[in-house]
Amino acid sequence: MSRKVFDQTLEFIRNLDRTRDAADICSQMIQAARRFGAEYLLAGTIPVPGENRRQQISNILLDQWPPEWTQRYFAHGYIFRDPAIHAVATSTSPFLWTELEPAYRRSPEARRIMEEAGEFSLRDGFTVPLVTLEGEVAGFSLAGEHLELSPSERGMLTLMATYALGRAILLRETPSRPVASLSPRECEALQWAAEGKSEWEIGERMGISEHGVDKRMRSARLKLGTTSRTHAVAEAIRQGLIS
Amino acid sequence: MIHIVTSENRHLYRQEMEQAYRLRHRVFVDEMKWTELAKDDGREIDQFDDEHAVHMLYIDHGVVQGYQRMLPSTRPHLLSHVLPQLCEDERPSGSHIWEWTRYCVEPAYRERGRTLSPVANALLSGIVEWGLDRGISTIIIEMNPLWLLRLVQLHFRTIPLGLPQRIGDQDVLAVTATFDRRTLARLQEMRGNQQRVLAEPEPRIRRFAR
Repeated sequence: MSRKVFDQTLEFIRNLDRTRDAADICSQMIQAARRFGAEYLLAGTIPVPGENRRQQISNILLDQWPPEWTQRYFAHGYIFRDPAIHAVATSTSPFLWTELEPAYRRSPEARRIMEEAGEFSLRDGFTVPLVTLEGEVAGFSLAGEHLELSPSERGMLTLMATYALGRAILLRETPSRPVASLSPRECEALQWAAEGKSEWEIGERMGISEHGVDKRMRSARLKLGTTSRTHAVAEAIRQGLIS
Repeated sequence: MIHIVTSENRHLYRQEMEQAYRLRHRVFVDEMKWTELAKDDGREIDQFDDEHAVHMLYIDHGVVQGYQRMLPSTRPHLLSHVLPQLCEDERPSGSHIWEWTRYCVEPAYRERGRTLSPVANALLSGIVEWGLDRGISTIIIEMNPLWLLRLVQLHFRTIPLGLPQRIGDQDVLAVTATFDRRTLARLQEMRGNQQRVLAEPEPRIRRFAR
């Protein structure tokens, strides 16, 4: 059993070498983790308290998270009260979110965050704490309605997550393509998105329809090789395309 | 600077090796609670500290601030004799593969937060310089998977030898990590200079044969 799981791990690591961008890495990871019940993933470095919303978002390296939840999460500043984020900073071992329950049971705020996450299909999660070379604390979360993991599968996901994040950092450092060239309108839409505006609000400000906003966001996402609106904002900030 | 101590030159480093064994005891027994290594005299010495071991000491003004030990994979070492369960496949072995163990830094010289301190950087650079000089390209490491990302970022090409396992209260993973000039360049870039960290070998003491 664990032999087979180990072989799958090695194959995953080998295949990662062929991924070309964050979107590739996400889809490989989800494909591998789906059979355990994981449908979503989020990975990045953990912001230090005091960082504003935009800085928080620019820490994200891999994003396949329910967008409505991300929006809500950052808008409400949940990150510094999220028990999983707290555990990433203090733990040296991967954990299932259910294992944190005894620690946050008495905090109504933390309980509410976890319950709300559940409403966005993030009921069960597995998080791997990591440390980057620069000494930043990083986390890699996989989540879904229900996760089922044997000890050896936990080990497998731990290794997969580590290599996937390593690959994402490497690809970011050595861009295989030149800095994305976004049109002024795409930049504008992203800039508003960075301010936390909804598609409708962005449309209002730019004098175009919601559909028009959607179109520009989609092409910006594609040009940046990113998987979501939040991830596109993060990447655009990193590349200095928006502020 | 990193000084390499082997059976050939250890008579020149008696006092420093004494410090090194005591540092090991303070870090691994007192701090990390590997109580099975405890020794009454406060010197942590095990069965692998024989004439084949290569000790690397970070020495500043006569004080040992950091230490690590390299063991040849062609002789008994931790993966072969203490933690064989961490290796699923055939055990890596060869003159170009050595095992890296007992890495430790005196608390005062550790990273603030968790970044790579100058002593930590020098110890890692020491392995790479030493390896590149001798045709050694790969090290075996047993560690908490938490640190794996750093090795990947340092351009060590790492391959797991098995899945992480729980040993005591720690998760432990065995990997091989292969390095090259890029690894060295990365470490130099991080510390901001390209000077060698390895001390030049001491002048050979002439041996008097009868």
